[in-house]
Amino acid sequence: MAVTAKAIAAPSGTTSAPASKSFSSDFPQLLMGIVLIAMTGLGPSMLGNSYWEHTFQLVNIYVAVAVFQNFLFVDAGQKSFGQGAILGLGAYGFAIAVGLNGLPVIIGLLAGIVAATAGGLLFALPALRVQGFHLGFVTMSAGIVFPQLLVQFDWLTRGINGISVKLPGLTDPLLFGLSPMTLIVTLFPILALLLHFVLRQSPLGRRMRIAAESPEAARSLGIRPGFMRSLAFVIASVGTGISGVLYVPAVGFISPQGFLVDLSFVFFFAVVVGGRGQLLGPIIGIWIIHVLPTIILVQLIDYRLLVYGILTLLVVILFPDGVVGTFESWRRKRSQVGGGERGFRLDRFTDAIRSMVPVTGKPSDVPIIEVRNATKKFGQVVAIEDVDMVVRPGEIHGLVGANGSGKTSLLNVLTGLSRLNSGTYSFNGRDVTRVPADAIAKLGLGRTFQTPRMFPSLSVWDNIRIGLDARDEALEPEFATLAQSLDRDFANDSPALLSHGQRRLVEVVRVVFKQSSILLFDEPAAGLSPEERAEFADLVRLLSRTLGKAIILVEHDLDLVWGIADTITVLETGRVVASGAPAVLAKDPAVQHLFVGGRHA
Amino acid sequence: MLEVSNLTAGYGDIPVLRDVSLKVAPGEILLIGGENGAGKSTLLRAIAGFNRPSAGSVKLDGVELSGLPPEKIARDGLRLVLDGHRVFPELSVFDNLRMGTAARPGDRAGFGRAIEEIYAVFPILKDKSKAMARDLSGGQQQILALGQAFMARPKVLLCDEPSIGLAQALLPPILAFLRKWAESGTAVVIVEQHLAVTRPYTDRAMIIQRGQVALSCASSELDEKLEALQQARAQAYAAG
Amino acid sequence: MLSEIIIIVVRGIAIGSIFSIIAMSFNVVHNATGIFNFAQGNIFILGGFGAYLLANQVGLEIWLPVLILVTLAIGALVALQGWITLLPLHSSVEQDSWLISTVSVSVIIGAVLLLTLGPFPFNVQGPVPGFRLMGSKTPGAYGLAIAAMVAWYLVLRFFLRRTFTGLAISALSQDFDAARAAGLPVRRLQIAAFAISGLVAGSVGFMVAPMVSVSPDAGMRYVLNGFVAAVVGGIGNNTGTLIGGPLVGVIAMLTAYKIGGAYQDLASLLVLVTILMLWPQGLFGRAAARRV
Repeated sequence: MAVTAKAIAAPSGTTSAPASKSFSSDFPQLLMGIVLIAMTGLGPSMLGNSYWEHTFQLVNIYVAVAVFQNFLFVDAGQKSFGQGAILGLGAYGFAIAVGLNGLPVIIGLLAGIVAATAGGLLFALPALRVQGFHLGFVTMSAGIVFPQLLVQFDWLTRGINGISVKLPGLTDPLLFGLSPMTLIVTLFPILALLLHFVLRQSPLGRRMRIAAESPEAARSLGIRPGFMRSLAFVIASVGTGISGVLYVPAVGFISPQGFLVDLSFVFFFAVVVGGRGQLLGPIIGIWIIHVLPTIILVQLIDYRLLVYGILTLLVVILFPDGVVGTFESWRRKRSQVGGGERGFRLDRFTDAIRSMVPVTGKPSDVPIIEVRNATKKFGQVVAIEDVDMVVRPGEIHGLVGANGSGKTSLLNVLTGLSRLNSGTYSFNGRDVTRVPADAIAKLGLGRTFQTPRMFPSLSVWDNIRIGLDARDEALEPEFATLAQSLDRDFANDSPALLSHGQRRLVEVVRVVFKQSSILLFDEPAAGLSPEERAEFADLVRLLSRTLGKAIILVEHDLDLVWGIADTITVLETGRVVASGAPAVLAKDPAVQHLFVGGRHA
Repeated sequence: MLEVSNLTAGYGDIPVLRDVSLKVAPGEILLIGGENGAGKSTLLRAIAGFNRPSAGSVKLDGVELSGLPPEKIARDGLRLVLDGHRVFPELSVFDNLRMGTAARPGDRAGFGRAIEEIYAVFPILKDKSKAMARDLSGGQQQILALGQAFMARPKVLLCDEPSIGLAQALLPPILAFLRKWAESGTAVVIVEQHLAVTRPYTDRAMIIQRGQVALSCASSELDEKLEALQQARAQAYAAG
Repeated sequence: MLSEIIIIVVRGIAIGSIFSIIAMSFNVVHNATGIFNFAQGNIFILGGFGAYLLANQVGLEIWLPVLILVTLAIGALVALQGWITLLPLHSSVEQDSWLISTVSVSVIIGAVLLLTLGPFPFNVQGPVPGFRLMGSKTPGAYGLAIAAMVAWYLVLRFFLRRTFTGLAISALSQDFDAARAAGLPVRRLQIAAFAISGLVAGSVGFMVAPMVSVSPDAGMRYVLNGFVAAVVGGIGNNTGTLIGGPLVGVIAMLTAYKIGGAYQDLASLLVLVTILMLWPQGLFGRAAARRV
């Protein structure tokens, strides 16, 4: 929790200046959200207006549900169109326990949470296999079926007659005209919002966002996307379930009619209209989608569905970022910092490495990677055939070959993204032929991607920090000092302003921080300027010679490979056609076809 | 006349090409060579509108093309044949050729003439006109892809690595066809790694390395200049 | 007993034909754009609404021209929807905005129906006479549904394989970049695909209105079952829907007969989840995934 305290304390100093250069506006949005919820939740009771008191009790429960929908949709990337059903499960769990069976409130609360979580886990199950519109349809279908089942299981739910629950103790005023109910339904959405904020600042939240935005990058950092998705569904379901429990005393009566699929759409639309991913979005969204048509335009109640359908359509077409998101992107454009020459430079990183004691002695002869007789087929197509490859600690190993020669397939095998049909692969002496990518990453394989994986919702420093998040051991003291200074200088910089070369370097620093004994660079030189190539070559040498990292370099720039590699393996149509020292290989006839103007075999 | 000046382009935010300029006149064939990943395909795709250049211009007969979507550029008379003999696999050979006329709408008579011409050059297309394109060999698919472009009678033809996935013996007839096509007044750009086979059919040559023009010369001088390039490199590698 | 089973199967196939048709209308748009139109169920119901308003209890001589008019009108409407949906997208599906916009269009159509008709389902009588099946009276619409499935399947097959526009739409789904390089007017073809999906779903909604309880919330049922039919048959594969639709229909009827009518959608949901968990490509998807 120390992280939390620091995270909250850190940006608070900047909030006094409106033109703050903070990368994220989560903190001011959190404060505004808390103020809005507190005002609408407590204000009416203190003024003695019971109509608005009851109205905003329900509104703030909806806000809480939308907050969890926002988290699930954006932070975890799961498009659920069935959160209304989860809310209903929470409500019915409580109402059946307390209203029908006279059990204590606390048991009812547990029953509601358990029911909602069970529903959420059912949603998570298909989410392990399918994403996108498939998941949308499954969850929407669950939203359609849920009220039908409530009617059918009338022995349990009383069917269309519904259940009424009265908890008089909750609604009696306590002080200043505030009843416990009022306090609870005001406090709960505030806690939900706080939880969302805290999660975002935490390593877990960052890792969840990475899993949502780029599952393969996540796996390369040791994250299991399926686990993250399930966890997100559980968190959202518990929160939505509690909202469902609160819904019962707030309304006093529940029936299947209250949980039609339209309700699920209200939450989803509220998030979109308010602004996907914005902390304040769900509040503004619920006000626009729910409060505006049902309360302000109460004489047009029949037009409610029409109004929110059209509003959502207009927002998607005209302001795809939503209301809060549109303001936020203006703010970002005006105040984003970073980029330019100083956007990200490598010298501090290389200085830190140079200040370390180089690994001594000859590089170990025990291979870190050993691939034997590896064959990988896709149906009838042979991607790699009978490939042998050995990489030792401290070695720079170039992997070259024409397009379609099998480099990418071999890379996918090495990283664990695909499994061999035959042959063996061992990592640090351990057989990993059947080990998944996230586990291989944890064993110490770090990689970069052809297109650097930058996460635009994270600051430049957070983009580096996700490497640290993947780490179990403490950093070397030199790197710890470096990390502090990077934190200081790049915590509010926008990755959108970095050039391609700078992004490439950020990614390299990330995987070095990730505790990798072998680094795999996938076409790192593509798109780098001549100066950046030279800088990159120096960096690779330093990583190998000083830190003792093994390096696999998949690269088309033959001059670069021949300039720095200790060993080069040449692939052609899935087979190794040559392997050895660069100077020897340069004369090998089997390699000539790679060089422009060279003879084709 | 195709005029590309100071083009900088890439995919996503990655600037693969830097400051590339070239000109091709009607009737002329330009050969572009370079190693894997040097940016040859990116150059053709940027010219044809598939990736938006971040700087520079692409002009066809003086009219700016850059910024237009690829389908519009095709209808303006610049036709890219993608690498990897890409045809529509579930369409018949004849229908694949028919799709070629999309870039030249309303010219039914022209289609009739063009299809007779292509059948005359590559009788295999006529023999297999009812077959699904997926059932053709790689070489036949490459011929079909070119035939489809031929239907559009473009002013400029860009041809990305016609040799990929083909037996090398199949390349000369394809190159001969391109030569003849160029002589009818079409400006042709061929990206190819098999320089020795391709060079004799072309007028000028250009080598791209790391996204920049490394050399540009008449095709007749290419072997000599490449030799010099190779020598320099061999020495560098030997030196370690 | 046997006759009961035959009746269930025939009725199941008839209802399943509707699911199959909706699945085909999904496929047309999906193959051309990568988009799945969540509003397709309400577009189908819109056809039934047209039948109720303009052609209830009329003879064939009025029914037929009104069918054509309503179909064309719905086609135009869905083309408009397609245009709006594609506005924020540059080429095809690089964002998820379409997910939201198609759901919101579905809600808008449902809301319009609610405002004009009220919440209750109503009955439509069509001009096609009923027939007797194993001694039980069966409305003519059941036969019409099966006929419509076969007819639309053949029409789409002809259109996508014989006409220039249809071939071009097929080409788009087979190789998007090659289609652009060939100069195919991508955006126009994608909007045409939307229009065709509207013609398919709208016309059948009109024809089978007598066997559907036309109501503002009925569309949800059809979008769900149509999607299940598409997934069972393999997304994008129209031939697969010929089996996927009737299969889902028969399962729904059997569920209604054995357990209760209210469990039909639950059965479909379970079928959907099972297929997605075990064979995400659909039962017939892998072999013919790229066929049209």
